[in-house]
Amino acid sequence: MSAALVTKIQRFSTHDGDGVRTVVFLKGCPLDCKWCHNPETKKAENQLYYVNRLCIGCGACRAACGQDAHAFLPDGRHIYRPEQCALCMKCVSVCPAKAMESVAQVMTAEQIMEIVLRDKPFYGENGGLTLSGGEPLIHADLCVELLERAKKLGMTTAIETSGYASREAVRRVAPLTDCFLWDIKDTDPVRHKENTGADNRLILENLKIADSLGAKTVLRCIVLKGVNAEPAHFRAVSGIYHSLQYCAGVELLPYHTYGGSKREQLDGFDDGNKAWIPAEADLALARDILTENGVPVL
Amino acid sequence: MVFYTPFCEPRPIRLCEETRRFAWESLQGKYGDEARTYSAVSLDHIPGFSELSEVEKYNIAIAEIAKNAPVRICKEEKVCGSATLGGAIDHVVPAFYQGRPVFRSVSHLTLNFATVLKRGVNALENDIIERSKDDTLTDAQKATLDSFQKAIAAMRVYHKRYLQAAKTAKPEAYQALLRVPFAPPRTFFEAVQSLWFTFSFVRLCGNWPGLGRIDEMLGGYLEKDLARGTLTIDEAREILAGFFIKGCEWIQSSPVPGSGDAQHYQNIILGGTNENGEDVTNEVSYLVLDVVEELAISDFPITVRVNSKMPRRFLERVAQVMRHGGGIVAVYNEDLVLQALERIGYDKKEALSFANDGCWEVQIPGKTNFHYVPFDSLRILLNDTLRLNTDSPAHFESIESLYIAFRKNLKNTVDKICADAIKEFADFCEHPEKGVCSVISVFEQDCIQRAKGYQNGGTVYRVVSPHIGGAPDVGNSLLAIQKLVFEEKKVSFDDLMRILQNNWEGAEALRLYALNHYTYYGNDDDEADAYTTRVIDDFGDMVEAWQGKSPIIFTGGVSTFGRQIEWAPFRLATPFGKRKGDILSGNDSPTPGTDTEGATAMIRSYCKADLKKMGTGAALDVKLAPGTLKGENGVAALVALIEGFCRLGGYFMQLDVVDAKTLKRAQENPEAYKTLSVRVSGWNARFVTLDREWQNMIIERTEKNSL
Repeated sequence: MSAALVTKIQRFSTHDGDGVRTVVFLKGCPLDCKWCHNPETKKAENQLYYVNRLCIGCGACRAACGQDAHAFLPDGRHIYRPEQCALCMKCVSVCPAKAMESVAQVMTAEQIMEIVLRDKPFYGENGGLTLSGGEPLIHADLCVELLERAKKLGMTTAIETSGYASREAVRRVAPLTDCFLWDIKDTDPVRHKENTGADNRLILENLKIADSLGAKTVLRCIVLKGVNAEPAHFRAVSGIYHSLQYCAGVELLPYHTYGGSKREQLDGFDDGNKAWIPAEADLALARDILTENGVPVL
Repeated sequence: MVFYTPFCEPRPIRLCEETRRFAWESLQGKYGDEARTYSAVSLDHIPGFSELSEVEKYNIAIAEIAKNAPVRICKEEKVCGSATLGGAIDHVVPAFYQGRPVFRSVSHLTLNFATVLKRGVNALENDIIERSKDDTLTDAQKATLDSFQKAIAAMRVYHKRYLQAAKTAKPEAYQALLRVPFAPPRTFFEAVQSLWFTFSFVRLCGNWPGLGRIDEMLGGYLEKDLARGTLTIDEAREILAGFFIKGCEWIQSSPVPGSGDAQHYQNIILGGTNENGEDVTNEVSYLVLDVVEELAISDFPITVRVNSKMPRRFLERVAQVMRHGGGIVAVYNEDLVLQALERIGYDKKEALSFANDGCWEVQIPGKTNFHYVPFDSLRILLNDTLRLNTDSPAHFESIESLYIAFRKNLKNTVDKICADAIKEFADFCEHPEKGVCSVISVFEQDCIQRAKGYQNGGTVYRVVSPHIGGAPDVGNSLLAIQKLVFEEKKVSFDDLMRILQNNWEGAEALRLYALNHYTYYGNDDDEADAYTTRVIDDFGDMVEAWQGKSPIIFTGGVSTFGRQIEWAPFRLATPFGKRKGDILSGNDSPTPGTDTEGATAMIRSYCKADLKKMGTGAALDVKLAPGTLKGENGVAALVALIEGFCRLGGYFMQLDVVDAKTLKRAQENPEAYKTLSVRVSGWNARFVTLDREWQNMIIERTEKNSL
């Protein structure tokens, strides 16, 4: 039985595919996007959320910790030392205020499906399971198992992916996936490498593979002012759309800084960049170029 | 003139500018303010008034209202008739003696408006005359029938005054009023005029009835007019909008903040199966949705009877209207409601005609005298069972022994409510002078035949429903005791009782632990939900045990309406970490702050109890953020949510779409947000008419949901 670290299972999601969906967020991502809005899903290993403002100074964490990861200053202020932390999560189980929380839980396909199935009465004909992350395709075995089970139970399936995964993984999941929500973060290879740490060639190749296997795709394009909010990028996106047989269109995702509070709880600082937030004019430009080029904007 | 919506798209415009302006002015309080300038007619000039019998006093009060209440015809109105006396807004008969009301008025019922349309008021009067010929009638019965006839005579007086006023001012309405409501209508317009005039007269006399199945009542008239080509669908929409706007005539510009003014139990039902097993959804159903979607009128809260036969298009329209917020449209799961009604003894055909009582409790319209008795089950746990309000709190060795003690106390409460109801009803049946309300009685089936008043055994059915409040808080309290004391042994039973008596003072770490480390009702956690489910199931059985012991139909319900706010200052600290005075669960919904898994999980938790045992209903309030409902998928998601609710065995769900930011702006700047309405507990209210506590509670719940 496959298992993976799951950061969240979001029920009644209406944004990640058709109908009512349950979205399973799997931890770990090979990309390192500067604008990541799910920073807690980046690292492959588990982490601890720490929210200082919730601490009531009771000292339960220090007593439970075997690693000296928690300390209290003379004035009562709590210090968390991530470098000392062995992630045993003992503090999480004793902290009354939930100032510490485990970012993820190891879950088996069985355990995940138990939760996904609970909302079956709400899925109707269109709803079902969406796998997201992180990058779900790095957990190919688990993905295949979950998708197979969901299909057998009559749900529709979707995967939200960066496309940065092995070709093998894409080939395995494509026949089990009703819709890929495929991120196109940038079409300029140099900028892509600079901002995500990886080349975009594999992503585009995988997209072609999925398409050649008959998989429906929706291109999800983050819009970042000063990065990719420019005509050349959206013309290139149009080109990608037209090169695919089963692509339903493009969804524009304006950059937001909501990931900031999560980053703060993980690393102690919020490095969100407000300058990237696109203006309505940037979005209108993107929509216009795509529409002019015959691309459905979803 | 922007009718508020939290949704990303504005409300559609289909009505003419004049109608929209009329709605706007009504919603801003123009006519409610006018009503407040004339509260009631005076009875002081009646010689020897205080010496008269109750029935005589009532007859005179109604006659004086009909003679003297101001007649108002607005330039923009389509249908005529008005409840112009401000006292009626306060739920009393607006005829005062020495400055004080003499009679309370009646609510929580839906009158037999279908019969008024089908037969006309003259036919009812003929029934009374016929019935009065019986020589075996007692004096009391004769006096009752005489009072019924006087109620109709008063209605005729008021009607005549409108005829005179409308003759030149509103020729179309005048033509209709020459016929209705005394004779049956022939056209859609006459039918709407008949319904409105009857309703407004009953309201003028202080009563707050519900309307019932408006689409079933009016659909046939519209269909004929459309087929004949004498009316277009756009004209029909304007007429119906006229009805809805008139229903806002009690809205005031600056009401005293309280638990909301925007409704006077004037509920409407749409859709559902009729007595022949056919779905009643028709053009009127769609027009009603058009009107409230455009004008944001929340004063006729609408509940849709959802069933599997309903046209998909209609359910999608319901979802589209819901997205604009205001909590104007709620849903009944028809299949389950029918099962619940059959369970308490209605035959299937009778059950199919169900509507609500003007609020959300279910009843058979025009045939039911309904009465509900609310109580706080958390008080039964904390005060009666744990005795936290005394110097010697109770001690229990196991959660089961605690539950059994609680259940015994719960049963005592239910038994007392039911026994008292039997005594009270017998008393009213023996004393026909009590609770006289002939304006109501004439529109209730069997009152004429039995020559008895609405409150005195005249109606076909008498239903009494104990309503449990705070059940989720009891469930959560039991779960917390089980975990803290018996499983994890974090604290001893006696120490926990002392801590609760001290309102958690000095035990903040334990309080937070209880609040944060356990999953409570509303998150689809089977272990947590089992406690609340058990309380509700056991309660249902206790009420059912009273069936057959008297002419009264006894059945349970789950509600608090707004009582969770009134109860808060008197409630003690709870074992799951809430302090004294915190506002806890409303209706059958999770305790605020304890649900984190979203709408589907909440619905599943709520559906775990056998809600068929709740014959008058169990309400779940769900708040959604507008962002979750964008686009076509937003409509599909709402439809899926409603269908899932029905599939899982829900009873009644009120869905509201709100965002916390707007509510905060409305709190700061009420003038700009007069048309913003929110679903409260069983009804909706304009946000600005709620007092600060209410507003804060709604904002708090909304913020949680938008995360």
